[in-house]
Amino acid sequence: MERDARRAAWLLISPAVLVLLALNIFPIVYALDISLHYWRLAGLQPPRFIGFNNYRLLFSDPRFFNAIVVSATFVLLAVGTEFLLGLGLAFVFNARLPGLASLRKIALLPVMLMPLVVGLVWFYMFNENFGVVNWFVTLFGSNRLPFLTGDRLALISIVVADLWQWTPFVMLVLFAALQSLPEYMYEAARMDGLTSWQIFWRVTLPMLRPTILIVVVIRAVDAFRMIELFFMMTKGGPGGATEVLPWYLYTAGFTDLNLGYAAAMAVLMIVLVTLASQFLVRRLAAGGG
Amino acid sequence: MAVELSVPRHRRSALAGAAAFAVPIRYLIASAFVGFCLFPFYIVITTALKNEHDIFAWPPVWRFTPTFANFYNALFVFGGQGALTFVINSIVITAFSTILSTGLGAMAAYGLARFDFAGRKHLAFWILSTRFAPPIAFIVPMYLMVQKLGLLDTRLALVLIYTSMNLSLVIWLLRGFFTDIPIEIEEAARVDGYTRLQIFRRVALPLVLPGIVTAAILSAIFSWNEFLFATILTQTRAATLPVYLSGFSNAMGLAWGPYMAVGVIAVLPIALFTLVLQKHLVRGLTFGAVR
Repeated sequence: MERDARRAAWLLISPAVLVLLALNIFPIVYALDISLHYWRLAGLQPPRFIGFNNYRLLFSDPRFFNAIVVSATFVLLAVGTEFLLGLGLAFVFNARLPGLASLRKIALLPVMLMPLVVGLVWFYMFNENFGVVNWFVTLFGSNRLPFLTGDRLALISIVVADLWQWTPFVMLVLFAALQSLPEYMYEAARMDGLTSWQIFWRVTLPMLRPTILIVVVIRAVDAFRMIELFFMMTKGGPGGATEVLPWYLYTAGFTDLNLGYAAAMAVLMIVLVTLASQFLVRRLAAGGG
Repeated sequence: MAVELSVPRHRRSALAGAAAFAVPIRYLIASAFVGFCLFPFYIVITTALKNEHDIFAWPPVWRFTPTFANFYNALFVFGGQGALTFVINSIVITAFSTILSTGLGAMAAYGLARFDFAGRKHLAFWILSTRFAPPIAFIVPMYLMVQKLGLLDTRLALVLIYTSMNLSLVIWLLRGFFTDIPIEIEEAARVDGYTRLQIFRRVALPLVLPGIVTAAILSAIFSWNEFLFATILTQTRAATLPVYLSGFSNAMGLAWGPYMAVGVIAVLPIALFTLVLQKHLVRGLTFGAVR
């Protein structure tokens, strides 16, 4: 590359890289440092170096393991349902019928909403005493249900709020992928005498695979970090039944003011998410390079 | 291949999987799904327009006389400090961080798309991975950094953090748009004596305007919606709408009306932008991987 080109590239790229170094890389290194200290927010003594003690405590902390289990359950339930519903709906919407395109566009409305408002409205609708969901439940002859205070129900209620917001997104991504599949594949499959069901399993699904991977990983990473719905709807209750990792980290840092401990959790989360998203990043990087 | 020329037995609609659903069932499922998507909007808006008695009514009241008292109270009266200052903070912080992330992001995206230098792939790869790190993992170091810089409860702190948060999205989305420009156009400009930076500003940038708009709208929405850093790094002076809404839990769960009214204010512009964005939303949210 000639010199002026190199100079131009450097001028264009460095500001963004500097911002990311300062606000992404540095905080990670800093978190690592904090996690090696006994570090209280608003504490009177200065932070004290304690090596890997925070990590050792973490691995014998039942609340931490509970949070991992709850987080994993939430991600599996939410993303699993969103994927299955989204896939089915993508097929439903995949037809040239009048009005279907408009319905598809309207269905997209929840996707970009402020998650806190999503939590607020579902909190209201799930209310045990006057919530509209319970009104529907009583229409079917059942008693009112403790949607936000029942051990099992609370997590499921949050899953419902999450899938309300994100199923349209999954549907739309898979719909876009379906639309881009080449027609001749289907013609060939039909000429081979495959049934619709066989075509779905042997042609459509394998060709959707790359897109499915992308959308599932993006959703899983985002569901794992989600805190707003828990903040609005349950605050980790009842009795830790909805205490996901982000919520435990939040309370450890800013309610218990134990910054070192929270930072140790943060470091483990970053490692986990980086590993989990690694292959997706590689795939995207390879495709766009 | 066992080609059956005689009988088009499986002649069906040309679309993938089209045979799986009959037309009425398709409309039924699609309408039910859209109804499910719209229902909470209906609840937010009607609750914001109800008086306190109707809000707590059992069974839920479907016919009521709308009142705008909740909006008035929320913005100007409620809790001694109206939501108006929060709205203004949200607008200012969103505007500045969007300009910064879109500007810096567009520059970097062009640099990555059009200049071949050592380590380019690794750089792009690293920028993308910053998108996946969970914000919750950053709150502790970020809080201490902002505190040490004396920037707690300032708009500047949130502007900078939201800028960095949105960079990966902007860069990856625009990189795809820049790569799509036929290289001949830029080569022609080179022949006409444009410098590299002039080509970026006067030739490439106008050509990716739809991409810029998409990136800017998405960045704006993410900044507007962001809750975690806002709630930890601001108190009153720089607090944004999500901080206001999070105060609901301190209100003993009683002030539904005003909070729903603020919810409407927080959500309506986003709903409009979502409709505008339509075409590019999928591409934007999957970093250009799905079009």
